[in-house]
Amino acid sequence: MRMLAVFEKGERIRHIGHLDIQRSVQRGLRRSGLPVAYSNGFNPHILITFASALSTGACGKREIMDVTMAEDVSSEEFLDRMNKAMPPEMQLSEARPLDQKHPALMASLRAAEYDLLIRDPGQAGKLTAAIPAMMAKETVPAMRKTKTALKECDIKPLIYELKGEGQHILATLVLTEREACKPGMLIEALSREAGIEGEEVRMLITRTALLGMDENDRLVPLETL
Amino acid sequence: MRKDELKEDLNQRFERVLEKVQKAPRYTGGEMNTAVKGWDECPLHFGFCFPDTYEVGMSHLGLKILYGLINRENWSLCERFFMPWTDMMALMEEEQLPLLSMESRHPLNEFDVVGFTLQYEMSFSNILAMLKMGGIPVEGKDRGENDPIVVAGGPCAFNPEPLADFIDAFMIGDGEDVMTELNRVILERKEKGMSREACLRNLAKLEGVYVPSLYDVEYNADGTVASVTPNCPEAPAAVRKRVVTDLNSTYYPEEFPVPYTEVIFDRIMLEIMRGCTRGCRFCQAGILYRPVRERSLEKLIKLAEKLQSSTGYEEISLSSLSSGDYSCLPELIRELMRRMKDKRVSISLPSLRIDSVLKESLEETQQVKKTSLTFAPEAGTQRMRDVINKGVTEEDLLGKVRDAFEGGWSSVKLYFMSGLPTETTEDLDGIADLAQKVIAEYFNVPKPQRAKGLRVTVSVSVFVPKPFTPFQWAAQDTVEAVIAKQEHLKQVLNIKGVTFHWHEPYVSYLEACFARGDRRMGAVLKRAWEKGCILDGWNETFRYDLWMEAFRECGLDPAFYANRERPKEEILPWDHIDSGVTKQFLWREKEKSERAETTKDCRKGCNGCGLQRWKGVCAYANAGSV
Ligand code: SF4
Repeated sequence: MRMLAVFEKGERIRHIGHLDIQRSVQRGLRRSGLPVAYSNGFNPHILITFASALSTGACGKREIMDVTMAEDVSSEEFLDRMNKAMPPEMQLSEARPLDQKHPALMASLRAAEYDLLIRDPGQAGKLTAAIPAMMAKETVPAMRKTKTALKECDIKPLIYELKGEGQHILATLVLTEREACKPGMLIEALSREAGIEGEEVRMLITRTALLGMDENDRLVPLETL
Repeated sequence: MRKDELKEDLNQRFERVLEKVQKAPRYTGGEMNTAVKGWDECPLHFGFCFPDTYEVGMSHLGLKILYGLINRENWSLCERFFMPWTDMMALMEEEQLPLLSMESRHPLNEFDVVGFTLQYEMSFSNILAMLKMGGIPVEGKDRGENDPIVVAGGPCAFNPEPLADFIDAFMIGDGEDVMTELNRVILERKEKGMSREACLRNLAKLEGVYVPSLYDVEYNADGTVASVTPNCPEAPAAVRKRVVTDLNSTYYPEEFPVPYTEVIFDRIMLEIMRGCTRGCRFCQAGILYRPVRERSLEKLIKLAEKLQSSTGYEEISLSSLSSGDYSCLPELIRELMRRMKDKRVSISLPSLRIDSVLKESLEETQQVKKTSLTFAPEAGTQRMRDVINKGVTEEDLLGKVRDAFEGGWSSVKLYFMSGLPTETTEDLDGIADLAQKVIAEYFNVPKPQRAKGLRVTVSVSVFVPKPFTPFQWAAQDTVEAVIAKQEHLKQVLNIKGVTFHWHEPYVSYLEACFARGDRRMGAVLKRAWEKGCILDGWNETFRYDLWMEAFRECGLDPAFYANRERPKEEILPWDHIDSGVTKQFLWREKEKSERAETTKDCRKGCNGCGLQRWKGVCAYANAGSV
């Protein structure tokens, strides 16, 4: 059976990279004593996938994993045993069995919701004020980092929603296997609009949800699909 | 600012630094199985300092044992500190941040006890740096009533003299029992408002505790030690090391902190025994950890299962100086394999002795995972191996190598030392000969039967004479001699399929100075640190030039410590530390080594090293004849 589980990457451990998070979840599963399935072969590993890698430096409120179990277990038991086995910064909030034929999480991923806490209140005000003007534009150029170079792209079509709330910028941005608007790209473009280009914007990035599309083409939390 | 506001401000600044620093996870803590004890609920706060980076410190078994041991008591709390890397140090200075604990982010000087573990000499400058960053006066004499008591233990504490200016009290020998006793004395100081001086005197009364400020050292005109005399009644003339006699009833953690990031030894370490009976003459650990004590099979299996379920690690390594000598090794490995198979846990034997592991257990090891095999012949010729009492013959070695190649291994590491007493070119050439023979063994295995990709790694380290060994009187090769030997080795080891690794000669030279240094080395250490020497164990930060300047400015000659053959009558700087092994035994061993005469393994009969004098300490002494 497959088990979908929603977990947190807490603020204290936000500098941990994705590979280390993956290993930590695997070790948590091993500590839990839950009947997980292993790959065959020389270096057996737990059969697990993650909906999306979360960058170093970012926190996650509702990150999602998909674990293959060797035997059936209830969601309650899964949650209970995992939460005893995981450090306080990586607790699980939800678990649900998935149908064997359920599509891979990554394939259904469409967007992500972010909460960007701008450390400097002055900057936060300027950035929030610049949102309407930026959203009124046809195109919003931004620089995208590829493996080898910086590439210019248009992020306008990648922004579903954008608003300011006190010191927070709340954004829903496209995130699929093929394309993504990273929070950094958004803030860079917004800084330009706000006339503070080149200033360092210190912020705490929290990915608050991963979203998929329901049959009515509405963005909904990926874990509910 | 109020106390909690101060704390919040500190936190904010620390978070800012974390955003800029490289490898932030080594400073953030919050790992699985780390202690979250309430600061105010525990009367005694112990700051455990590992004077090297997080990745090195978190690989260290001693840290895990003492961390668990101190946190187990409801009256004491232990939090960790590591040496920040240079970028972190610069950022912390910019933000005026003190060294903070990994757990609750309290500054080092808010702890009651600050304890350093002394694993290798090249970490000494980091101790000074950590004290300074932690807001604690670097020298003991400058510490006041509100400063923590600074203590240290570990193998380098057996010659505590070079650190005497900086450490208030040393714990000599096994730490498990003395650690709690020491904490109790310091708790008493806190509760009764006892003076620092009175507390140190009380500490000196504990067996195995050395308080250097309670001893006066006099020197002869030639720079050698004339006398070391206690200056108060509490200080014993000789400090006897602590020995834990029964490992089964001694504390061993049932959970280890599990780092998020990869550290050097990222696995369960199961200490199967302590001590070694082989008596290799260069080996300091072999003397310091005497006598041999084993953990029972039942205890080990229980610990392994508990540790597996509390850590989730994928690998267990059996740890000891000579795991192959563990009396029920095949049973242990078989039982561990059986129980760990379903959990996909592999078992590895790190310090595999070439003459001790059965072929059978080799075959069982690979059932789970095939890593590279390590052999330590230490010297290239039989004569040299006899000099150092490494009871291993060429046939033994090649036999084991053959077994390994037949068993499907293709990667072999060979460890040697150069610069051993009486070494000649012939001994160096012997290293290359041995490497050739190992290669030949591989090709002797029929092609379809052997694994592809032969890799032979030959590592040659520079011999450093250590206190409490039969070579404690010996001269180390000069740096020039070491370099010439390395050049020679490079030529003779230019063999297809062989990778040759050697050690930085300058580091070994300095290591030799500290290993056998006296109290005056403290001035050199302080001067070098003031000049910017830190993280000396790392190539990128080691500054030999600054170290040599520091020696000059302090009017001391490194050659006096490293390259001088010491006479029998000389009072050695560590003579007032009693390791249990007598100077007479060590001298006897030194003389035998000069005649290339070997000494038998003391499991085959007691060699009278001195420990037999301590009642009920050495199991073999009681059984055998003296
Ligand atoms: S007392 Fe005898 S048996 Fe025990 S360690 Fe010393 S030499 Fe070996």
